[in-house]
Amino acid sequence: MRRGRSWNAVLVAGLLFFVALVGLPFWWVVSGSFKIPQEIIARVPTMFPQSFTLEHYQKLLSSSDYGTYLVNSLVVSSLSAFITLLLAIPAGYAFFRLEFKGRETYYRIILLAYAFPSIVVLIPLFGMFAKAGLVDTRTALVIVNVAFALPFAIWMLRSFFASIPKEIEEAARLDGGPPLTVLWRIMIPLTAPGIAAVAIFAFVTSWTEYVFASVMILSDARRTIPVGFSGIIGQYQVDWGLLLAGASLAILPVVIVFAFIGRWFVTGLTEGAVK
Amino acid sequence: MKIALRTLLATAMLGVPATAFADAVEITLWHMEQPPHRVERIQMLIDEFNAANPDIVVSQEPQNWGEIYAKAPAALAAGTGPDMLFAIPDFAPILKEMGALTSVEDFVAELDAEHNFVDSTVEAYSYDDGVWAVPLYNMTLNLWYRKSVLEEAGIDVPTSWDEWRTAAERLTTDGRFGMGLPANRQLYTDQTIYSIMVNGDASEIYNEDGSLRFDNDDTVAAYDFYNSMMEFSPPDATSWTWGEAEACFASASCGMIMQFTVISTYENQAEGDASDLGVAAIPTRDGSGDNATIAYANAVLLLSQEEAEREASQEFIRFLLQPENYGRFLNMEPGLFMPVTADGATADSFWSDPVVQEYRDQIETVIENGQNGKLFGFTSGRVFPAIASISAQNVLAETLQSVVVSDMEPADAVEAGQARMEDLSR
Amino acid sequence: MARKPILAFAFVAPALLFLAATLVWPLVSAFVLSLQNVRGIGTSGQWVGLENYRFILTYAAFWESAGLSLVWVLANAIVQTLLALAAALILHQKFPGLRIARTWIILTWIVPTVVVVMIWRWLFSTSGGMINPLLIQLGILNRPMGFFATPESAFATLVFINSWRWFPFIALMMLAGLSRIPTELYEAARIDGASAFKRFTRITWPLLAPTLTVLLIIGTLLSFNVFDIIWLMTQGGPAGGTRTLPILIYETAFRSYRMSEAATIAVLATMLLMAFAVLATRSLARSGDER
Repeated sequence: MRRGRSWNAVLVAGLLFFVALVGLPFWWVVSGSFKIPQEIIARVPTMFPQSFTLEHYQKLLSSSDYGTYLVNSLVVSSLSAFITLLLAIPAGYAFFRLEFKGRETYYRIILLAYAFPSIVVLIPLFGMFAKAGLVDTRTALVIVNVAFALPFAIWMLRSFFASIPKEIEEAARLDGGPPLTVLWRIMIPLTAPGIAAVAIFAFVTSWTEYVFASVMILSDARRTIPVGFSGIIGQYQVDWGLLLAGASLAILPVVIVFAFIGRWFVTGLTEGAVK
Repeated sequence: MKIALRTLLATAMLGVPATAFADAVEITLWHMEQPPHRVERIQMLIDEFNAANPDIVVSQEPQNWGEIYAKAPAALAAGTGPDMLFAIPDFAPILKEMGALTSVEDFVAELDAEHNFVDSTVEAYSYDDGVWAVPLYNMTLNLWYRKSVLEEAGIDVPTSWDEWRTAAERLTTDGRFGMGLPANRQLYTDQTIYSIMVNGDASEIYNEDGSLRFDNDDTVAAYDFYNSMMEFSPPDATSWTWGEAEACFASASCGMIMQFTVISTYENQAEGDASDLGVAAIPTRDGSGDNATIAYANAVLLLSQEEAEREASQEFIRFLLQPENYGRFLNMEPGLFMPVTADGATADSFWSDPVVQEYRDQIETVIENGQNGKLFGFTSGRVFPAIASISAQNVLAETLQSVVVSDMEPADAVEAGQARMEDLSR
Repeated sequence: MARKPILAFAFVAPALLFLAATLVWPLVSAFVLSLQNVRGIGTSGQWVGLENYRFILTYAAFWESAGLSLVWVLANAIVQTLLALAAALILHQKFPGLRIARTWIILTWIVPTVVVVMIWRWLFSTSGGMINPLLIQLGILNRPMGFFATPESAFATLVFINSWRWFPFIALMMLAGLSRIPTELYEAARIDGASAFKRFTRITWPLLAPTLTVLLIIGTLLSFNVFDIIWLMTQGGPAGGTRTLPILIYETAFRSYRMSEAATIAVLATMLLMAFAVLATRSLARSGDER
């Protein structure tokens, strides 16, 4: 597409706006985490650090179990993503392709899963988990996170399946493949980018979840990053340097993950299926 | 890597006592002293205790203040709660209502005979014919300033409300706020407004019969005064908690603040010049010198129903209150937590901490100010269950916000505040 | 095609059963709770029928919160749609660094909410925060302002923070919708001499509308239920100015210790949202756009 000069100017201005909107806060946080305390709370803040120190990181790593939190978060988020896919792929396919009584009704009911304040289920779920001996386990968090990610995952997958040209699937079906084989051999490979995007969605939903993780988990050894992070905030004093270091380290893992798979998320969302 | 190793070591070490002493009593401690250095200090004491008491294994699980109001009752109701919980007076009625508390009157009497508790700290837990927790560490609000800043402005340390306002006004200059005061609907603001109230004859919010007496002229006067001080406070004070106030003071953006302590922030993030840091009692309405303050006597709640676990918990508390351990316990945050016992206030273990030594003058003043400490809803034995919701809903602070944020007349706001308290007592 | 109902059941049942166990059952127990007079967690109560409903429906704080929630949803919808649409249209262009921009715009969404809250709390604060000095330097402010000082500014600031977190995700969903529009349509319109504005209103907008509608429905439900950002930032203050329904529910349950009343508010909010969702999805189905 060709663009006029004025359009280019608008584009560049818009781009700069979004770069600042998204990028500046992160720049401030990460650069701030290397400043000495006096500079962080200085009356006139500095755009670029005038000092350099690793003390906040040293303090963070030596005195909190950041590594444990990280492992917990990764385990919970990966498992949540995996189980979400396990449940959502067949359901999404069935809602798209298979005919059964009440299909549309069920489909709509699934989306209704977002139609209540999630805080409502906190205490009943806690009671249920307590009876099942799941309080203070990572399993409990996986269950909760899957429940939150599943409806949207099914909805996304259904639309990805729908974007596959009918002829391809028909051909497979005419070859006599049972639905499960068609799904496994044809549909899943064709929608791989979309499935990756759904997995990332479920992963991030779980990665960022705070309220349930903070109540369901009782012991330090099973905390996730968000809960561990909130723990260093402290009641009576705020150590901004420590917080900025903590924030930077809480961002870092997903940034690394995204550096590798971020591309997939976008192409998966935009293309959904291999055409 | 270091962490992985630490975890591994910790796991290995935890594994040993469990196998070596198969019938050891295991008890869990929850507390909200979550900053890493405090956790570390508590762990040090736990390790010593566990080593000296092979038949008991104590472990700690730090929790977050933000969620504890939902989490502790839920966990206790589900039978997954702790054996001991460090908490503030507001918290005891909630758990008592659930039937999770039994009176520890005899135990407190035993400890009192040995260590002599500061009376107000026990008072905060004494009601309904029982004592519901064992006081452990005290926190009182004080007025903090820099001596050099006051000198430069040519003012003395204020003792009456009028002097205080004048001082705040004169300290307010371009780029500096005279007096950093919060007006957030949050516990810190509850504490600051109540500290003004106790210095203006408005310490009681209940009558003896349990009816409310919050709506009275003295309360209104306290709110009125507080509101008049807000113009010398930063514009974002309506969202302040303790940390923002300290940051304001540390960066010298605030001339004075009301705070439990600023010592560790001042030491680590500001000048750290002990001779320049000033602390005083909160001024009284008429400058009578009969200063009072809010006192938050933190205590330990005993939550296990089993005799063996209760006994083990008591053993641990006895250990903590021993003068040779108690000071080290309090100094998990030097300058913040003050002793609740007479022999704790003179203990070497308390005064030998380097930070405490450096700020000895200030800490002595803080301890002295704490002698006349009160806590709203926990005064004169007039404690009623609704105080838990009143303080959890921060009604004192909410009332202040009506004045500061919504521009209500103090008298109307206090009247509405009492109506709100009555609604919560329903 | 209805050949294998058992198979369809086997495909759908695990997901449905899972959701029933984790969400429906707790909701039912919340409903049961709303018919009792339970106060603190773990205490018992008696049956009181619809007494709580009668009380809540005449409770001023409930209606204030409901009104705030409505404004919250609308404000978020507008801000997020505008930001996301602008971002999506830009990302739909071709320019150097496109791939990097498309990947990293999502940064705000992958950060834990607690961290988001802490970042902005710091940036907006008057001691050490970056925003006030920046605005003063740009000449927009002449002295520091308290972003959370008044109910209105706190509310607006929260809308900004929540939108900041969510708009990139929505932008990518829109981008997905945009990229499904065949480019031939634009070429044809260009040959016919349609202006850029016309191309947007005649092609982009109508073809993007179905995606937007679904996003709007889900977005409405999700933003109505936003709890953590508001709670961690303002706890519903100042002066109740950001106390939306989820905050009121939490406060009633865990600060006033009236579990049953909290459950009642929750049931009412759920009914409201369900009604909205049913109506919205039905109109969607009628227009035949649902996919």
